[in-house]
Amino acid sequence: MSKKRLIISAVIFAIVIAALLVGIFLTNDPNHVEEETIQEVMKDAVLHEHVKISLFGIKDVNPGLIAGFIVTGIMLTFAIICRIFVIPRFKLIPGKFQLVLETAVGLFDGTAKSNSPHKYRLLRLYMFVAGSYIFVGTLFELLGVQAISTTGKPISLGAPLSDINGAIMMGCTTYLFLLFNGLFVNKVRGFFGVLKDFSLPISMSLRLFGALLSGALVTELVYYYTMTRFIIPVLVGIAFTVLHALIQAYVLTMLVSIFYGEATEPHEKKEKVKKVKKNKKELSSEVA
Amino acid sequence: MGNLPLNIDIQQVLLHLLNFTILFAGMYFILYKPVRKFMDAREEHFKQLEEEAKGKVEEGEKAKVEYEERLKNADSEINAKKEQAGKETFAERERIITAANEEAAKIVKKAKEKAQSEHDRILSDAQKEIAEIVNEATEKIVLDSKLDTYDQFLNAAKKEGNDE
Repeated sequence: MSKKRLIISAVIFAIVIAALLVGIFLTNDPNHVEEETIQEVMKDAVLHEHVKISLFGIKDVNPGLIAGFIVTGIMLTFAIICRIFVIPRFKLIPGKFQLVLETAVGLFDGTAKSNSPHKYRLLRLYMFVAGSYIFVGTLFELLGVQAISTTGKPISLGAPLSDINGAIMMGCTTYLFLLFNGLFVNKVRGFFGVLKDFSLPISMSLRLFGALLSGALVTELVYYYTMTRFIIPVLVGIAFTVLHALIQAYVLTMLVSIFYGEATEPHEKKEKVKKVKKNKKELSSEVA
Repeated sequence: MGNLPLNIDIQQVLLHLLNFTILFAGMYFILYKPVRKFMDAREEHFKQLEEEAKGKVEEGEKAKVEYEERLKNADSEINAKKEQAGKETFAERERIITAANEEAAKIVKKAKEKAQSEHDRILSDAQKEIAEIVNEATEKIVLDSKLDTYDQFLNAAKKEGNDE
């Protein structure tokens, strides 16, 4: 492309952008009042008191649950396609897609082995599924899948774990996973070892909820005001969605592997040290 | 249940759990297990290849050590064999010489004996003949006085030569 042509293209692009911006601001009604205030929007994003979706007419649920179902559907569909069309054609020397699948499946092997060298098979499976769910679920927010709320308004579905119920489920499931594996491997000692960390499900749940909700809240905030609807969402989308997807998947899987390693660590019996009772005379002589 | 803070709904938590359980089972059976199975099989395959290669390398090492050992011993072995062969050759030579000497001695002895017997026979024959000639000559001298003794002898000798 010649320099002249490049300049002409850049000028045309700038004119188009400027015209669009002028159009957007001119058509913006200054007297328009949002139906909901920013406070209400934020509060609803956290509590989901008003924005609910009907679950097949059985129950009104938070959008996060519907998002969770859709994410599961996407993941299972992907898995089925891979199972039918890709896995039977696996080769000894992997191709690109096979390499991606194998890397995804074996991604947590190293972490699982290093944190729990004595027992890690179930751990790496749990880490794979939980990590994938958090990662895909968080990225799902970027798709902006629309749903109709019970009030008849269209809403954009967020990450399943930005719903407090989803985050609680993940935290508690992880805790129960650790608890029962501790029980199976180290019997009562392992069970009580995990049980004493009773704050773990709360901290895990709230960490997930807080982290993923913050992304949703910032996105809501950015899209609420007309001025911030340009360029900023690109940065916000990356910072609060893609990075959160990676970070939260990493944090949860790391925590699971560390606690799992502790819960299933083989217990070594300590030799009892015989306490020699010293009589008063000996003690007094020593003191002297 | 409705009074829980942050609008927490246990029923929805359980629905999330149901969703996650389905996902867990589905991902395990549909994706994770087959991929892991393939990866393990491949790992096993390469492990087997590695073991085979290791075995072959070990075999090669053993053979190398063995051949080096053999090579080391080859000189001494060759010398020993040379010595042995020398000894055997010497012994054979001695045996052959001894046998030849014995044979030669036998032949010589036999020849000597034969020569001796021939000599004796010729001598006795000659003696006999001489005695006969002498007798004949004596007879002729005695009986035939006309003939000269010398001529008679010459005639007798001539006759003897013709006979031979």
